[in-house]
Amino acid sequence: MSVSESLSVIVEPFGDSAVMVTIPADDPRRRRESIVDFRDRLLGRRPYGVTDVVSGLESLLVEFDPLETSPGHIEYAAQLLAQLPFEGTFGPRRGAHHFEIPVVFDEEVGPDLAGVATELGTDVATVVEGVCSSSFTISLLAAAMAPMMDGLELARPVRRRDEPRTDVAPGSIMLAGTNAIIQPFRGPTGWRVVGRTPHTIVDITRSEPVSFATGDTVRFVPITAAEATALDGSFLLPIGAER
Amino acid sequence: MTTALEFAATGWLTTFQDLGRQDAERLGVPTGGAADQHSAAVANILVGNRRDAPLIESLGGEVAFVPDRDILMAVTGAPAEVTVGHAHVDAWTPVVVPGGHEVRIRDTRIGTRVYIAVNGELRSERFLGSAAPDARMGFAQSIARGSTHLVDSEFVGFRHEYFDQSLFRLPVPVLRFEDAPWTIDIVEGPELESIPEMRQLLEYATYTVTDRSNHVGLRLNGPVAHPPGDEEIVSHGVPIGALEVPHSDELIVLGRYRTLTAGYPIVGFAARSALAVLGQAGPGRELRFRWIDRFEAVRQLALREGELRTLSAAVGEAFDALGFACPLVNN
Repeated sequence: MSVSESLSVIVEPFGDSAVMVTIPADDPRRRRESIVDFRDRLLGRRPYGVTDVVSGLESLLVEFDPLETSPGHIEYAAQLLAQLPFEGTFGPRRGAHHFEIPVVFDEEVGPDLAGVATELGTDVATVVEGVCSSSFTISLLAAAMAPMMDGLELARPVRRRDEPRTDVAPGSIMLAGTNAIIQPFRGPTGWRVVGRTPHTIVDITRSEPVSFATGDTVRFVPITAAEATALDGSFLLPIGAER
Repeated sequence: MTTALEFAATGWLTTFQDLGRQDAERLGVPTGGAADQHSAAVANILVGNRRDAPLIESLGGEVAFVPDRDILMAVTGAPAEVTVGHAHVDAWTPVVVPGGHEVRIRDTRIGTRVYIAVNGELRSERFLGSAAPDARMGFAQSIARGSTHLVDSEFVGFRHEYFDQSLFRLPVPVLRFEDAPWTIDIVEGPELESIPEMRQLLEYATYTVTDRSNHVGLRLNGPVAHPPGDEEIVSHGVPIGALEVPHSDELIVLGRYRTLTAGYPIVGFAARSALAVLGQAGPGRELRFRWIDRFEAVRQLALREGELRTLSAAVGEAFDALGFACPLVNN
């Protein structure tokens, strides 16, 4: 992460054991980038009594033990952390990894491909090309550790489905707005399903169930169904990692 | 020493459980764990374990198991009929179960969940450091009928010449259930201002838990109002106990296995001290709400915490006097 200036943050109580942190800025893109930056600062220093955090696209829910600290103390710490000169990452966080994720894009595993193309007034090949030329950054780990990425560059943001799908296969590559996400386990979604990777995204039997973290970068690489079969099920690893 | 527990019956759903995952929500995994954290913590304290040790949670039906050596056990949670070798024993107290005798728990009533703790370390799989199930991630942790599970324990049994059971007089904070409806303390939420009618509704109306409720959240039937505009709320993190008004005419109280982010208006939050009782609420249960401020919410929580610490100290003294070896650490 690049050198960033000091942030200003808003901290509001959210029940008796959490506060909601947001960044006031007119530009949504700036709000989204700044909150990732703030999350790194907070997790790097971990104010006393903070138990966990939940990332939203433009906010951070900070959970704390109310018998150990209070919203006032958390706000004080949050304001200090936001003003701190901040270069790169500190604390135990590792440097960013890069992933090249093989994906099959076809009608069978990407049932919303045609619909997205129609919505954008273009054809399927152009959509696939747009997805694969986009450079994504993982902004947060969503439900069930799903990597939620920002950076989709298509003609327009992609709409969600009106009627959510009830049963989407693991490994599905899904789009909404300017975001992409990979479905780790079978389940429902309102996102548009455009392809599938043969890799296992989350393996709960491993001590580190995922190989990615916020700040990592991702590109999707189109492969054929036959090539996917050869990779079937192997655990997703970043470029340069030893299998 | 290792004791085997052989399960002859497991009711509707019996799983390994604990107080949940630490520091997992930043990774997209809800903390999860026992819906009724108070009962789970008390069960472990009563047998001399750490509060967060693995234990067994049962969601009703009949549970039966036989240990092959003497064990020290405690049953807490919803009121239920507990027997050891067909003889009635009390819940919410340490019970010595002689090896070869069957423990049976049935007729769970009023609440929905029963907790069974056994002195020692109950062996179970872990995911992100916790034995709590996470169905969404394929970590079921269910205990199957006919299966055998192991406990590593230093407990060597206890026989007294004159007393048999009920030899403990401990200051146990038993979870009390009011006659219907149950009252749940709540504090204000961020969207209460934009739906001011909800303040009165929550204060005076009665809400009923529907059968579409589970560990993700309780869905309540009852009067709700919606915000005037159709303004989209950007999806954000949501804490356990958040009271959401979705687009439909119902109220949702988020549970420990909630989806971590949502964009529905939040009109209030259940106080943390009220979550244990909420964790026992099943379909048909009537709930009332009571507005309190955050200071009162924290005060209530501190009272509950004080009770747990008093119990820990008393159990520690009693077990010391009896010469029980137990891993009473960090209680």
